[in-house]
Amino acid sequence: MLLRRIYQFFIIYLLGIALLFALKYTLRLSDYVIPSPDEIWRTGRDYAGPYLLAVLNTLAVAILGHLLSICLATAVAVLGRLTAWVGSFIRTAAYNIQAYPIVAVAPIIFILLGDGLASRLLIAAMICYFPLLLSFIGIFSEPVSDIEHFYESTRRMTWRLQVKIRAFENIHKLTTVIVGSATMAMVGTIVAEFIAATAGIGYSIRIALYQSDLAKILVALFLIGIGTSLYLVGLERAGNALQKRLKSI
Amino acid sequence: MKRASWVVFSLLFLLACGPKEKAEEVSYRLKWLYNVSAVGDLYADVYGYFAQNGLKVNVKPGGPERDALKELELGYAQFGVASADQVFRAVAKGAPIVVLAQLFRVNPLHWIYRPDKTTFERAEDLKGKTIGVTFGGNDETIMRAVLARHAIAETQVSLFSVRYDYNPFYEGRVEFWPLYLNAQAVIIGEKLDRAGEKYAFLNPDALGVRFVANSVVTTREMLEKHPGTVKRFLAALRQGWQDALDPHNEEKAVQVLLQMDRETPAAVVRRQLAATRTLMLPAPGAAFGKIDRDAWKQTAEIMAAQQLIPAQLNVETVLMTDLKN
Repeated sequence: MLLRRIYQFFIIYLLGIALLFALKYTLRLSDYVIPSPDEIWRTGRDYAGPYLLAVLNTLAVAILGHLLSICLATAVAVLGRLTAWVGSFIRTAAYNIQAYPIVAVAPIIFILLGDGLASRLLIAAMICYFPLLLSFIGIFSEPVSDIEHFYESTRRMTWRLQVKIRAFENIHKLTTVIVGSATMAMVGTIVAEFIAATAGIGYSIRIALYQSDLAKILVALFLIGIGTSLYLVGLERAGNALQKRLKSI
Repeated sequence: MKRASWVVFSLLFLLACGPKEKAEEVSYRLKWLYNVSAVGDLYADVYGYFAQNGLKVNVKPGGPERDALKELELGYAQFGVASADQVFRAVAKGAPIVVLAQLFRVNPLHWIYRPDKTTFERAEDLKGKTIGVTFGGNDETIMRAVLARHAIAETQVSLFSVRYDYNPFYEGRVEFWPLYLNAQAVIIGEKLDRAGEKYAFLNPDALGVRFVANSVVTTREMLEKHPGTVKRFLAALRQGWQDALDPHNEEKAVQVLLQMDRETPAAVVRRQLAATRTLMLPAPGAAFGKIDRDAWKQTAEIMAAQQLIPAQLNVETVLMTDLKN
């Protein structure tokens, strides 16, 4: 799975680069607009090390933010499942808050928390939290009538059991949503770094943009792609292992 | 006789109704959003100077994601505004860019500080201070040049990463904060005035670092294939700037800006305009837009010293100083 995911990413990346080169050589654009293969190679050689560290830094914050979001979304969705009113209230709040552009909210966060780890973590969590929450509320609010009916008629149903049944029956959906939101956590962290942090690959991209250095950005995108692919594969593997374990019980 | 005059009248009528010469359409990409640093460009457009020169100019706002130099090369714009560092970076990578005119005589980038809390009389006073810079931005390049020129090691100062949040400066954690003298300085200065705080500005130019800011650029191809258009564009632009910065036309210039930028109050625009005059107006008798060759050379030297461009870049080939400067 890992190998497949990596070579699929390579294909997409190389297609993108090929398109840029096609444009460059067809329109005879200078290296300022689109860098030459030689410049990209040299930039990759010079910056792969520091950029790799920056990507790992970003990835670590993204994973933390993602975990935080999963825990919070699970807790809120379990609460939201209790009554239709609470569920609909949380949904409305989630839709509204999600509609605020993060670039407008970020300055407030940075004023309150400074430009350190806490702000990056919060923004990463905010970006991937609401999609997670909405899916989780949907999953945990939907009764699995066939199974729940038995426990309800025998009066053995507890809230924990209800959550377990709904999670077990929708484990595939939950895994898909969690894997899908992982990329959003990564994007959230990069956006946070781009806006105000002083570390991570988002910060490096910002500096490269100031210097109009597309070669650096292409190297950064390559490493972000690899980092994200690795994280997604890790999550998918964990999800599959969990599904297998649950089925074997 | 009557018949002859009828024929003459008909001919004149036909001539008047004949196909008019269509204004040549070009796009002009600014460096930043519509603000006081583009007042002359907008003035030339609103008061018809471009039209009088047979041009229909689409003056497009710039911004953080817009790069006029890339747009010139891609053909999305025919003229643009870029700072000298942008020009050199582009030219160093083979972009066919030429500089037509220099808008700012003095770079508007300054550092604000509180004179009652921070002693600053000469460059050496920077030692031990916390100085805000935008890493990767031209303020970092300028500050590093100031430090290098006065033999101040980077270990002797503390460089602080600056963003749009001014709190580190307000709280006194950062002693010198970069801003544009004709834009944010007016607004921040007003806030500090209200708080009863004193403030002053560090001008890199006064410390011997002349780093060229906004200039008008085009492609070499445009200059070679359409020299007439370039000359007419420049003539209209120069007239626009001269008139916009003329104190007699202040109210007209303010109205032009307010028309394009409804967010900034008129009182602020007036003060910004006054600050812009001090940075842009040439010495009496000199033409507006004159390219300061020495300042361009120094800018290139600063960038080469910081390894941002190759040392062998030929500055002269980029500057079109013979275009009636």
